Amino acid sequence: MVPMPPSHPPIPQTINDFTILPLHIPPLPSFPRETTHYLYLRPNAPKLPTETTPRELFLVNVPVDATETHLRALFAEQLGGARVESVGFEGAQRTRGRGITGPVAVGTASGRGKKRKRGEMGEGEVGAEGREVGGLPEVYEREVRASGGTAVVAFVDRASAEMAVREVRRAVRSGRRVVWDAGVEGKVPALGLAGSRAEHALRYPDPAVLQQSVDDFMAAFSAQEAVRAKELARVRSVPDADGFVTVTRGARMVPAAREEDVEKVEESARKREKKKVGEDFYRFQVREKRKEEQLGLVRGFEEDQRRVEEMRRRRGKVRPE
Amino acid sequence: MAANGVKRRKLEHTSSDDGDVVSFASFGATEEEVAEPAGNAGQDKTLEAVDDGDERLGDEEEEGFGDHEGDEQDLERFANHSEEDRGDVEIDVRDGGRFPKGKPAEPGAEQQRQDRAEGTRVRKTASELGTYLAGTSRSNIFKLQVDELLEQIRPRRGKREEAAEKALHSLKKILDQMPARGPLSVSDAEQQFLISGKVIIPFAEPTPPKDAKYKFAFASPSSVNVVGSYALKTSPRSREAVEIDMMVNMPAALFEEKDYLNYRYFYKRAYYLACLAESILDKSTYDTRFVDLHDDQMKPVVVVSPRTPLDTEDEIKPTPRWRINIIPSVGAEVFSKDKITPGRNCIRTTGDTKAGPTPFYNSSLRANMLTPSYLKVLHHAASTCDGFRDACLLGSTWLRQRGYSARISEGGFGNFEWSTLIALLLQGGGSNGKPMLSEGYSSYQLFKATLQVLALRNLSKSALVVGNADTKPTGDGTPMLWDALRAHNVLYKVTPWAYAQLRQDARSSLAMLGDQLFDGFDAAFILRTDGPLLQNDYLVNIPVTTMPAHRGSYHKLFDALKRGLGDRVSLVTMKTAPSMSWQPGSLRSKSTPDTSISIGLIVNPETVNRTVDHGPPAEDKAEAASFRTFWGEKAELRRFKDGSITESLVWSTSEAGQTVLEQVVRFLLSRHVGRDAEQNASFVGNGFVRLLPQGTSTTAYQPLMEAYKQLETDIRGLEGMPLSVRHITPADPQLRYCSIRPPSDTGGRKRPSPANVVIQFEASTRWPDEVIAIQRTKIAFLLNISELLQEAKAAVTARVGLENQEDESLNQAYLDIIYESGAAFRMRIHHDREQILLERQLKDKSLAPSSREGTARALAAYKRDYIKLPAHTQAVARLCSRYPALSGTVRLLKKWFASHLLASHIAEEVIELIAVRAFVQPWLWQTPSSVQTGFLRALHWLARWDWRAEPLIVDLSGTGELRAADVQSIKTRFEAWRKLDPSLNRIVTFAASSLDQDGTTWTDGRPQRVVAGHMTALAKAACAEVQEKQVALEPASLFASPLRDYDFVLHLDPALRGGKKRAGATNGTTFKNLELAAEDDESMIGFDAAQLLLGKLEFSYGSAVVFFAGGRERPVIAGLWSPQTAPRNWKMNLAYSTIPRKVRSKEEEESVTAEINKDAILAEIARLGGDLVESIERDMP
Repeated sequence: MVPMPPSHPPIPQTINDFTILPLHIPPLPSFPRETTHYLYLRPNAPKLPTETTPRELFLVNVPVDATETHLRALFAEQLGGARVESVGFEGAQRTRGRGITGPVAVGTASGRGKKRKRGEMGEGEVGAEGREVGGLPEVYEREVRASGGTAVVAFVDRASAEMAVREVRRAVRSGRRVVWDAGVEGKVPALGLAGSRAEHALRYPDPAVLQQSVDDFMAAFSAQEAVRAKELARVRSVPDADGFVTVTRGARMVPAAREEDVEKVEESARKREKKKVGEDFYRFQVREKRKEEQLGLVRGFEEDQRRVEEMRRRRGKVRPE
Repeated sequence: MAANGVKRRKLEHTSSDDGDVVSFASFGATEEEVAEPAGNAGQDKTLEAVDDGDERLGDEEEEGFGDHEGDEQDLERFANHSEEDRGDVEIDVRDGGRFPKGKPAEPGAEQQRQDRAEGTRVRKTASELGTYLAGTSRSNIFKLQVDELLEQIRPRRGKREEAAEKALHSLKKILDQMPARGPLSVSDAEQQFLISGKVIIPFAEPTPPKDAKYKFAFASPSSVNVVGSYALKTSPRSREAVEIDMMVNMPAALFEEKDYLNYRYFYKRAYYLACLAESILDKSTYDTRFVDLHDDQMKPVVVVSPRTPLDTEDEIKPTPRWRINIIPSVGAEVFSKDKITPGRNCIRTTGDTKAGPTPFYNSSLRANMLTPSYLKVLHHAASTCDGFRDACLLGSTWLRQRGYSARISEGGFGNFEWSTLIALLLQGGGSNGKPMLSEGYSSYQLFKATLQVLALRNLSKSALVVGNADTKPTGDGTPMLWDALRAHNVLYKVTPWAYAQLRQDARSSLAMLGDQLFDGFDAAFILRTDGPLLQNDYLVNIPVTTMPAHRGSYHKLFDALKRGLGDRVSLVTMKTAPSMSWQPGSLRSKSTPDTSISIGLIVNPETVNRTVDHGPPAEDKAEAASFRTFWGEKAELRRFKDGSITESLVWSTSEAGQTVLEQVVRFLLSRHVGRDAEQNASFVGNGFVRLLPQGTSTTAYQPLMEAYKQLETDIRGLEGMPLSVRHITPADPQLRYCSIRPPSDTGGRKRPSPANVVIQFEASTRWPDEVIAIQRTKIAFLLNISELLQEAKAAVTARVGLENQEDESLNQAYLDIIYESGAAFRMRIHHDREQILLERQLKDKSLAPSSREGTARALAAYKRDYIKLPAHTQAVARLCSRYPALSGTVRLLKKWFASHLLASHIAEEVIELIAVRAFVQPWLWQTPSSVQTGFLRALHWLARWDWRAEPLIVDLSGTGELRAADVQSIKTRFEAWRKLDPSLNRIVTFAASSLDQDGTTWTDGRPQRVVAGHMTALAKAACAEVQEKQVALEPASLFASPLRDYDFVLHLDPALRGGKKRAGATNGTTFKNLELAAEDDESMIGFDAAQLLLGKLEFSYGSAVVFFAGGRERPVIAGLWSPQTAPRNWKMNLAYSTIPRKVRSKEEEESVTAEINKDAILAEIARLGGDLVESIERDMP
């Protein structure tokens, strides 16, 4: 909203411990209006700090088209030149089918382009015991963020992070013009038609690559299965301290059919039970049944009355149109 | 005539001729008084029999009550009707639409039923509750609704009734004081009125000859009575006005024996009426007008209504609150009844000795003599049969909602005909002269039985005779209900066309009332058929001025159309112009030049466009000659391939501009009515078809269907696949004739959209036992198929694409298979183990809520994509071939949704269900036989669909596979959802079918409530437009949707949407063209940039903006800001871009609010869209 209509209340410079950084957005032919986006920043302070926390900056209300390149350029060129190591976005679209974490490292590394998920909200980092393998090829060249989302920017060192915060505050105080989307031309994949076409092309990866990723996945999967089976077998065969053997799945060879079988057996048992004494064998049964029916009728009738009442309430009187 | 009790009285045997008249003082008094002298002869036998029955019933009633034990007392009423209803249920089952069509009721059936009704225990108390049908819940609802309805429409005594009765008394006084006049000759009589100048005698055409020998005279009426439904309380309360018929009995002395001939009676009656009108004009301040009673020119009446303050000549003055029709009539004995039977000629022209019979004239005269007799008949019925009055109320409501009334222009079958039909059938009409209906019937049974008589008996072929007589129908298509005792055809003024339609309506209503699954109450009594466009497939309007003037011309037109159109149409109806009322001082108003008669055609979709008609073979001389006279020069003798030589007609194909139907109708008009009529006739009905690309025919789908078969054989023929194929099933609108554009229409580009197909392999134990691994295995399978297919078939391109990257429990990949012919398919693998694994996961109690949700979603997606979608596709495709108009209806309806930017919210399957509903539950009408009616009726239903309280349930099998228990469980599920989610956050519309009893498969999470409301509003607006414009409706106007209701609109580059390329774009035109050409590459199959953009927008702004898009139909995405984005206290995790603002509240506390940053969001959208978005418009005017 630039220029600001006078009636609007002023924009604060900070809110809670966030600094509010107005980003100027240049007009586009399809929307020829200069606008301002408000980015909220503060040093990162998660509930469970990690060793990288001191050199991180927490961003709220990241523009939906933000990329790592954008933020690198923003800090490097317009906010004092702090160098960004990496950026973790929250609420990003998933760009590819995930891989599997093998219990043992399996051959080729196709888990390329793995994004670092932000520790605070994203899924946990891949554990230390193995690497993710067999991920499907990426289908997005450029992710789109959810509006109002957050991001964590990690700088190369603590000093850079502090400098960045200082610089931002100074820019806000002095009212310096910080422009979004500047200095990234050609460095980020395009949006629009070209972007969509590229995206479409990415959906159809090279069959060989795809085959490879599936093979990797399945190899890791069967290795995992084997390990699990072994573990289960071990548990089954080794009594614990009290001398009991833990009951585990997989002892019998056809586990899949069991559940249904049990149901079937139960069903037939129930049927047999029913057949034993006819339902209208004793006089009291007949009488009870009749009573039941009558009660059912009463209930049905009352239910209907309620429904008609409801209908009347909803539509007013029952009158021909 | 001693004072008789209302009930159980034995009537004395009196002759109906004894001229007993109802005393005037009776109106407004109780019914007993009116009834008092209602003596009637000839029914003695039946009445006595019924009386006996009555007593018998009474006895049983007591016994019945004695049976019950004390503790069941309060249950008694329920138990009672469940027992009693057995008889009804049987009737019901039989009624349930299964009776053979067109076959008259078996003679025994009525008898049987009657026996049962009399013989079984029919208690009057039983009608208190639930007598209608079996004790199922639905019927109770039906019954409760009917009771409620009757309560509302039963006539009541209110202010306007009082005012009307006061007027009646004063009119009576005026009439009694009138001096006698005459006798005068024709010219003297006219002269007399000319001098006073107030009234012109309302003579019928032809006016009386000037040299007529007979004289006109006036004497004060021998009696004045209130007759008709007002006196009998059998007409429903209407909003418009209270209408009271006042019969003025002209003294017999005024008429001569031969006056029944040559309109003489009617001339004298007109004179008498003119006298009445003059004195009413003189002595009262009421508004007095002439009007033709029921459009019968021979019988004008005086209509008296309160004078409105703004007394203009306009017809559109505020409706008067009451109306009194003053009807001159004459005693039943004045003319011999034998002289005016329908078979006699009573209009004689000099020199013509062999003139045919004049049934209408005769019956019209006879009807004028019998008014009091029928009042007695009806009153007798009302007093002996408890359900009679209510049955009349139900019947007249039913008739009114379908547009029938006693006026000839509205069919000639009204309240009077309905109640007389019941009354007569209570007396006779069955086999051996026994009554067809029993007095023990409840009102609903009477109603239904009467409908049955209308539906099953073709009274224009064989007369229904009450009493002893051997009468044949007149042969001109007029139905014959012969009342032998009164020697009168009650249905004399029912037009053949209205009768055919009436029977059709009765049939569909019976089928509806027999439908055990769906409550037909609304369709029976609440909804109106709503105008000719919804009712007819085609309409032909002919200006009245171009038609020959005489009455027979309509009949001739009707006969010509019926014969000429033959099996092309299933129904021909006509709507003639109604007559208008006129001031007594002016001449009878001629119809204005712009009035027209409207012919409605309901076509037979299979035969309507046949181009060659085979007539009779040449050897059959008589038939051939008649064929030649009928068709004139159009008839050709042709020899056909099978060697037969027949008279035939050849029409040009529809592509010639006019449909075959139109050609035939125009030919018939010019040959049998006149060139003038043909030239001025306008044809309405094909307009909507033109909106569909490549028309409504399913032939445009044939190439894809064939390619699909090819695909199936190709896949099954592949060698070296690890598992053999069990099924390949289609799962796409294009493979069920339901895509807006047929698959061959790709906007001039070689870029078809791939049709989804599901493949299932034979079971194997080698699949992994985990969902994610299964998805990967599927990719391996697809890669394998792709490789084998490309090896085996050179003309096929296949490649594997990825999807659902955000959730690995969902299907991860598909195989696009593209044939050189241009057909494209997208294949996914169905593996049934997935379901078991997912269900097992759901049962796992230790699952975290978020992953449980994900699993549930995956399970729903599995069921939708692999089970329901293929089943739905097959069912809808089958229905499309059964109902030829369905495919076009679905496509038109989808286009409507897309044009109103609802395409992204309402699933295609739901739209299909809505359209199918109009075909399998067509009640109120018959199954639509054209795209136009199908579409309009679907909209009509949509406008009324109260999705908050009603689930949409459709039987997709079309063969009644949906059972009552299924419907019940669907409803229960619906109610459970409403209880679970009363604010409609997740499930707004609920759409279930015989294949999908969950009801949420297509509607989970979409549409949102605001969208559903928008949809209803749009449908209502469309229906209002149809209602207002009627025949002048411009079809495209229903598809135009203004954009000003949205907060902002993104105008997309039209070239992207497969629309027309922009002419003369300003810059980079050539570049753009190249780019577009590149898109026609095969690798771009399935590419939809706008859809991708919409997906991104919904991902980013899903909770802050509701987006509306029209798919390929409209290159626009519109948005509405969600009300949740109102300014609020600032917090970190808002799901939209915000502007922080300092706000100082009253307590001087400073706080910061967050306001949605609309401009920044739009700028972001502009960046996201890049060159896809041409412009963004906001702050709509």
